Amino acid sequence: MKNFEHFNARSIDEAATLLVRYGGNAAFIAGGTDLLGKMKDRILPAYPEALINIKTIPGLDAIEETDDGLSIGALATLAQIATHPVIREKYTALAQAAGRTASPQLRNMGTIAGNLCQDIRCWYYRATQNRFSCLRKGGGRCYALKGDNRYHSIFGGSVKGGCIAVHPSDTAPALIALDGTVITSKRTVKASDFFKVSVNRTTVLEPDEIVTTIHLPAPAPGTQSAFMKFALRQSIDFPIVNCAAAITCEREAVTRARICLNAVSVVPRRTVAAEQSMVGSNIDENTADAAGAAAVANAEPLEGNAYMVPIARTLVKRTILVCGPSPAEVDPV
Amino acid sequence: MGSLSDKEKQTMREMQDNLRADPFPLNTYTHIGKRGPRRLDGHLKASGKADYTMDVQLPGMLHLRFLNSPFPHAEITHMDTTEAERLDGVRYILRYDHPDLPSRASLGKVTGIYGDPPPLSRFAHFEGEPMGAAVAAETEDIAEEAIRLIKVEWAERPFNLDIMAAKDKNAPLSYPEMYPDSNYWNNGLFDVLIQGDVKKGFAAAEQVVEFAFVRRGHTWIGPERPCGVFRWKGDCPELWVKQQRPHLVKKNLCTWYGGVPMNKIQLHCLYQGASFGGWVQVPWNMGPLYCAGLVARETGRPVKYAFSRREDFYGQSMDDGIYRFKVGFNDDGTILAVEGTSTCANQIWPVFNPVNHLRENTRIPHLKGKIETVWVNKGPAVPTRCEQLPATLSLTMVFSRVAAECGLDPVAVALKNDGVEGHDMVHVSAEKKKLGFPDIDSLAVCVEKGKTAMDWDAKWHPPGAKQLPNGRMHGMGFTWTNEWDDSLGSSEIAIRIERNDGTATILSMGCDNGVDAENTYCQIAADELGLNLEDVHYNPQVDPGFFRMSPDSSTNLSVNGWAVRHAARILKQRILEAAVRPTAETQRGSFRAAFPDCAPEDLDILGSVIFKKSDPSESITLADFVREAGQSGPVTSTENAGFRWAFTEPLFAFSYHVQVGSYNPENPRPHLTRQAHFLEVEVDTETGEIFIIKAVNVNDVGKAINPMSCEGQQYGGTVMGWSRGKFEEMIYDPATGVMLNGNLIDYKIATTLDVDAPIDTILVESGMGYGPYGSVGIGEDVGTVMTGLIGPAVHNAIGVWIDDHPITPDKVLKALGKI
Repeated sequence: MKNFEHFNARSIDEAATLLVRYGGNAAFIAGGTDLLGKMKDRILPAYPEALINIKTIPGLDAIEETDDGLSIGALATLAQIATHPVIREKYTALAQAAGRTASPQLRNMGTIAGNLCQDIRCWYYRATQNRFSCLRKGGGRCYALKGDNRYHSIFGGSVKGGCIAVHPSDTAPALIALDGTVITSKRTVKASDFFKVSVNRTTVLEPDEIVTTIHLPAPAPGTQSAFMKFALRQSIDFPIVNCAAAITCEREAVTRARICLNAVSVVPRRTVAAEQSMVGSNIDENTADAAGAAAVANAEPLEGNAYMVPIARTLVKRTILVCGPSPAEVDPV
Repeated sequence: MGSLSDKEKQTMREMQDNLRADPFPLNTYTHIGKRGPRRLDGHLKASGKADYTMDVQLPGMLHLRFLNSPFPHAEITHMDTTEAERLDGVRYILRYDHPDLPSRASLGKVTGIYGDPPPLSRFAHFEGEPMGAAVAAETEDIAEEAIRLIKVEWAERPFNLDIMAAKDKNAPLSYPEMYPDSNYWNNGLFDVLIQGDVKKGFAAAEQVVEFAFVRRGHTWIGPERPCGVFRWKGDCPELWVKQQRPHLVKKNLCTWYGGVPMNKIQLHCLYQGASFGGWVQVPWNMGPLYCAGLVARETGRPVKYAFSRREDFYGQSMDDGIYRFKVGFNDDGTILAVEGTSTCANQIWPVFNPVNHLRENTRIPHLKGKIETVWVNKGPAVPTRCEQLPATLSLTMVFSRVAAECGLDPVAVALKNDGVEGHDMVHVSAEKKKLGFPDIDSLAVCVEKGKTAMDWDAKWHPPGAKQLPNGRMHGMGFTWTNEWDDSLGSSEIAIRIERNDGTATILSMGCDNGVDAENTYCQIAADELGLNLEDVHYNPQVDPGFFRMSPDSSTNLSVNGWAVRHAARILKQRILEAAVRPTAETQRGSFRAAFPDCAPEDLDILGSVIFKKSDPSESITLADFVREAGQSGPVTSTENAGFRWAFTEPLFAFSYHVQVGSYNPENPRPHLTRQAHFLEVEVDTETGEIFIIKAVNVNDVGKAINPMSCEGQQYGGTVMGWSRGKFEEMIYDPATGVMLNGNLIDYKIATTLDVDAPIDTILVESGMGYGPYGSVGIGEDVGTVMTGLIGPAVHNAIGVWIDDHPITPDKVLKALGKI
């Protein structure tokens, strides 16, 4: 790797100030599991002159149950979240999502905020030595559109001209299903509004803005949540499709459903049609399957990724089924 | 010690005649076949203290990195290295137009087949190819940065990725520098295998099916990056090499730089961070070493070259291709004729015919196989655990198809067609008798044990017939073949008895790639010499002037095993002869014999003690026999002071072996040992996911010298086979020819967490192999054969053939009509 300056920030203000000082040629680093790989592979045209370590900012890794829910510090590791007893019990989808992310070593290093803010995994975008100057780098075209797009969006593109790279986070759909909120150094944003695609960006964060806390509301009585992931390997892989659901039932009927797919579109995709199809229904094979069908009704697969449609449909169905009052025996995915 | 005596040569010819049953096995085995001997490399590797070539750090060492082509086919028309030269820490830039770089150099394993390319070419024939320039700098990072500063003007050329398109006579040439006439280059070179007359077979058959399948290429990448270190000490080169066959380095290096005498080359071959065959056999291996030597000479400093992880990805297996078959058979599963063609990419050794295994271990009378090797603009394809991939995959698919078409259990179809070179088992039994082997039906034994372990008879069912309560479809797969056991290799091995403690040292250089072969040779030597196992040691990393076939636990054990066994037998005889005569002669007379009244045949050695057979209490330890060393070595230096301490002559012996066996086109004797593999899967028909439930490997290894090592090869081979069968393929962008998944996240290799199903490993010992004690190799077999077995297992589950390997979820869903 090329050399770079390294700063240990002691406060959010200091981190932001350092970033501004480098005029855009610096980057925040926490777990570093995404950033260092990008730098090592030289996937971007520019190489940061400085990294500003925010792990040294005190108090950003706490997980606390509050009167109105749960507060998770931005620097809480995925391993912490996956094993936290309160999260496992009450916010099950998030614990499951964190536990299925990457590998044990990466979960020990990677943070929840890093998982939300990670860059896309498109293999054209990620080609070493900036081999493809694609739309997401401000270049002229999307190479995946007519190339090998087996892991790309089945719900259309974004950015001018149509980047079809998907968002790869496992925890993002869980936070959206659990109706979470992202608190930054500048504002509060609903998790469902946090993701936005533009050149060099995957979120609404401004360059000098830092995620500080994730907040999850306390689940209503009768709520169950779950996360499922389909990947080629069980051990370590980004999702081909993942799905999180949080479903509230009263006397077996669904009163509220939040269901979110990811890795199928350029941002996490809340499947409102599937949610609506479940409200008022009991959870069973038929209603869950109908919701799965609704979730992919508008899919527009490309030449190489039509297989993702039935997988997404199945994951929606199975995730709903395990949220039922009497969870059926459902294949783990 | 000189050469072998006439008697020893005669004995060796008799003892190492591997074309018949081993005439001189041991009566009892103390160490051979025993479980639990210590691994010589175990503690070092487990504790992270083992040294690999990548670990080598020499004072003043420079780091060498190479320019990579961004295009799959291109020519450098201009290069400006000015800016790179200015970078702090850059010490030397070697360009393709350096006057001391030859246009042709001996870089490969087989001169002539792949050709002798330049060590640093101006032309690129695949994206990512290391070529054009190499930068030596104080650190690897600086060298890498300097590479980026080199300004290159490229002339892009049209390229081929698709094999069938490249075969077309109007296709652009993929590699015009080496193959200027056509991309289809092996016409006439071992390309056709014919047995009987397939037309007759098809005419007589009750059924004829035709099918085709595709296998996508997979990489040879290993944990240790390709690398090497080159240092000049005066005019003597000293090298550290990541190299499966270290002698190849000396063989090639002696022709470089105007010629280097072999006796001036000092070689080190440390532990190997994986070696699956591929890397050793391409000019990439030697070209960078050539460049490192040149830069070391120019700078006067040691130079380590290393490839990046991505650069290692480009080499691939030899089975990347399209296979087409026509099979004639009867309703009872008797196969009468098979005609097959494999059209594969970039095979450096296009000599392994798709019907080869059908010839070697079946009674199918009529066979015709054809290899077509086509050059495309991808990396070279070489034997990668191993060259038999196309042939074993073909056997698996032919037998599975026939069984399915007939509605028969594939195990029964295998047994029905077992044989050798068109002959049935009656003929094979007669051959066994003639050659002195027991009449063991190896396949029948393997199948019986495997069926029991898998509970096959209860679990097997017709294709697509069993849905489980969890909704998944249940599938069972079976395949088999012979154990291939020989590489027509040769081996030299010596053993020396050390002074002071009488321990034995095995002398021969080879690569240690983690299969515990060194301990295996110690087991043989210990049993043959009568020593305790801990009294025998083998460090193959140093160059004593002898070289063996490596890597081991593969086909090469059957070559090296003979050499070490015979060296031990000669040495034992020499020890016993020395024990009954004056132990040494000097100018001042001789020394008293240890057993003056005995003949050598009156003595034996056991537990590192020489004893009289008729009275074991009359004994002397080997340590006491060889005596302690003097101040200057073996001979005491006290004679000038009037003292005379007895000493013994040096005790040393060597042997060698030239194998004649199954790779010989004439097949000097039939293949008698078999292997059988069973796989149970479940298929999720909603997602296309394949779950491995259980695997059973049964290998007739003839004689398991180191059973735990054999089982390790079975287990590891199964994991490798699953990984290739389910995940592994190299993916290229069709528009640019750039490899898209040249990293360890996008290229899917099964990790230990992806292998949570039980793997039963069973060994059969029929004594019918080519090696000593009737042993055969096992290291390549299981990984190679298991690669294709997922196909039949998935077919048995869903009732539909998927003819495109690896079998990924998208293909399962497509086969099921879900997309």
